[in-house]
Amino acid sequence: MALLRLENVTKRFGGLIAVNNLSLEIQEGEAIGIVGPNGSGKTTLFNVISGVFFPEEGRVIYEGKDITRMPSYKRAPLGLGRTFQIPRPFGSASVRENVATGAMFGTLAGKVSVDDCLEIADRYIQLVGLEEHESKEALTLTPVEKKMMEIARALAMHPKLLLMDEAMAGMHPKDIDKTVAFLKKIKEEEGISIVAMVEHIMRAVVGFAERVMVIHQGKKLVDAPTKEALEDQRVVDVYFGHAAGEGNAKG
Amino acid sequence: MIFELLAGNLTHGLLLGGVYGVATMGLSLIFGVINVVNVGHGQFIMVGAFVTLILFTALGLSPVIAIPVALIIGMALGFLFFYTVMRKLIKAPELASLLATFAVGILLEELAKLIFGADFRGYYWDVGKIILPFTTIPMSKLYAFIGSIAIALFLYFWFSKTRSGTAVRSVIEDSEGARVCGVNVDWIYALSFAIGIGITVMSGVLLTMFIPVGINPYMGGAYTLKAFVIAVLGGLTSPYGAFFAGLIFGLVENGAYTLFALIPGVAPFSLTVSLAFWMLFFLLLVKPTGLLGKK
Amino acid sequence: MKKNIVKYYPLIPVLAVYLIMFLIGFFMPGMWQMVALLAFYCALGQSWNIFMGMTGYVDFGYVTFIALGTYGMSLGITYFSQFEWLGMGIIVIGLILAMFLAALAALLEAAIALRLRGAYFAIACIGINEGLRYFIEGAKIWGGSEGLIFFGALTQSLGRETVNQLTTFWADFSVFVIAALAAFLNMHYMRSKIGYALTAVREDEDAAKVMGVNTTKYKTLAFLTSGLLGAAVGAMAWGLKLGHVYPGDVFVIHYTIECIVVVLLGGAGTLLGPVVGGLIYGLSKYWLAIIMPGFQLLIFAPIIIIIIVAFPEGVIGVLKQRVKRTALEKYIV
Repeated sequence: MALLRLENVTKRFGGLIAVNNLSLEIQEGEAIGIVGPNGSGKTTLFNVISGVFFPEEGRVIYEGKDITRMPSYKRAPLGLGRTFQIPRPFGSASVRENVATGAMFGTLAGKVSVDDCLEIADRYIQLVGLEEHESKEALTLTPVEKKMMEIARALAMHPKLLLMDEAMAGMHPKDIDKTVAFLKKIKEEEGISIVAMVEHIMRAVVGFAERVMVIHQGKKLVDAPTKEALEDQRVVDVYFGHAAGEGNAKG
Repeated sequence: MIFELLAGNLTHGLLLGGVYGVATMGLSLIFGVINVVNVGHGQFIMVGAFVTLILFTALGLSPVIAIPVALIIGMALGFLFFYTVMRKLIKAPELASLLATFAVGILLEELAKLIFGADFRGYYWDVGKIILPFTTIPMSKLYAFIGSIAIALFLYFWFSKTRSGTAVRSVIEDSEGARVCGVNVDWIYALSFAIGIGITVMSGVLLTMFIPVGINPYMGGAYTLKAFVIAVLGGLTSPYGAFFAGLIFGLVENGAYTLFALIPGVAPFSLTVSLAFWMLFFLLLVKPTGLLGKK
Repeated sequence: MKKNIVKYYPLIPVLAVYLIMFLIGFFMPGMWQMVALLAFYCALGQSWNIFMGMTGYVDFGYVTFIALGTYGMSLGITYFSQFEWLGMGIIVIGLILAMFLAALAALLEAAIALRLRGAYFAIACIGINEGLRYFIEGAKIWGGSEGLIFFGALTQSLGRETVNQLTTFWADFSVFVIAALAAFLNMHYMRSKIGYALTAVREDEDAAKVMGVNTTKYKTLAFLTSGLLGAAVGAMAWGLKLGHVYPGDVFVIHYTIECIVVVLLGGAGTLLGPVVGGLIYGLSKYWLAIIMPGFQLLIFAPIIIIIIVAFPEGVIGVLKQRVKRTALEKYIV
């Protein structure tokens, strides 16, 4: 049974079709990269999966259960974790408290005490290398540190499926390699499926994803093992054509 | 009989509604531009009422003259208030601006009390009346209504036909975008705030025609609350929406009063006031962007 | 276990202040009235802060709860004092009614108004308050605008001596208890899951939802707690103490503003803030009423403005920054 299955999902905003009749399957323990040019509907796709928006058509099935219209806060305890394209830290709380909040309301909700969560937080903070900033207010972090904190916060939720929305954008190549390495390690150790949405950072896609999905104008263009997908001529046309034209613009 | 009464009350309601509309346009303008709810709004209406009273009783000047005087005083107060207090609070948490505007309202009330005392006062501007088959309308109320339409039209032209008005609209839509396009957003903030307060003080002049003995330092609070209801009805950020919502509110208020008065054993006046708030509550529930609001 | 107690250390200064206030009032002749007034402001600030400080939502209509608490007590005494066998039980009934009315209002308001944010929420709360007040007056329920006057009924039922003790001592004493309870609950919320959830709500409500926080549940919990405590203050300090209630006296937004000023002076979202704010506000109000009767508001208004513009963090907000990384840190929150 697939961990997550989208069946013919369509999401519109007024006249604009952001996600168009899209279906996909994610198996347990997979590492998937989703790529596509700006405005191709990737963030909307994540929002549909995490319940920020409900789709007009189609179904979202998680662990065999229809969650299409389930409010987002009920999805996190089922194991759906995510990070945001533009980090959204709880600014006045410390880094430690931010990450602990993830542990508290994720899949462990109800099973752990506040103190346990703070200990869990310490572990993931160390993993992403933010020990020194542990007691800082989250809003004082640099953008990259905020991204790392969000990854720690999402991991602390102990998710089964982690959606990462351009989590490595703006990072130094060295940090990307480091992040990819620990994500791989965590994925193996904890059996998480990770879907990372990466736009321009091929280094991350190649290093991390086993399978790549290319989204274009709300539709799935290609869904294949990484190497194969990146050699596909359509991908080269759509994705690299755009990327080259747009330089390093972020969507 | 009841229909005559209703027709009469609705006529008065419409005239008062125009004044309500103008009295709310400033609130909507300020909320639209700087995203601040002026909780001391009604106290500026009170300032306008006192300006009229003083000009009329002490200097013998007609309320017609009070209108431009009120605008100037209001804009001066608006600039003063903006540059001393509001400018620093635009980016601050909501609590700060809500409380600051409330405090300014209290300050105005207490200053008015210090200067004029807490008594209810009024004046009588005798310019004749019109006798209709179902009611009699003092000309002063009709002039107030005409005045309110004129002010609304002026604001409309400023908004749609002038450079600064266009800039204000662009700031309401998207202040960052406007800034990028070279609009001096900080000046637009100050100007809209001053104009918002100016209109509000002017509406106080018009309002005096409807409250023969109701001028008092503490009269403002009730109008703040009515203005909230009207502003929400009109879409909160839209000054025109506010004007039309004011007309609707005036009609509903007087219509409901007439009907409540038929129920034995209740206090129709209080019930009408409470109706306004239930309306507000219901509106926020069903359509938080307002009845006449966009989305 | 020790660790858990350490977490509650910030309660020490709060409770110490309350104890000192009580002792001063109890043992120094002529001080009780003033101390009771200070406790009243501390209790209200502490109660209001539980919701506002933790969620960032500004409830301008908070006085609704204080007013409904007053009405609960008044209705209880008015309608049950005829049953003499109830004795002191009528006060318990009054308190239960106060809690019931406030809970009803809080849940209704939470279901409807808490879906709104920012200015809309503030306006909706004012609307509910005014709507209720004029509805009571207009529909002439609960005595309409003439209110309920039950001091006589209370005296008849419990005897002059008991009522005298109740109104001059026990009503005020209970405000101290409520203030301490509010401080404890606030501390407890801060240190538990609830506090983490509400911080997330305050900082980014949509992100909080995606993180698994049932935002409605936690907001409602804080709103209800805050409302019930306010109602308890109303029931004791207004209802029982004064022996009468008029809608025009209790549904007055100015009292919400007093709560806000208390919290803001001390520092929003802090535990000790409302205590310090309550003392500063209560003392200056008391003092101004003596030296310049009738001019308190004229003096307060500019002070409020100056505080908001120049010291938005309040006394404790500033102090908290100062004591960071010192031994005092764990006592001041």
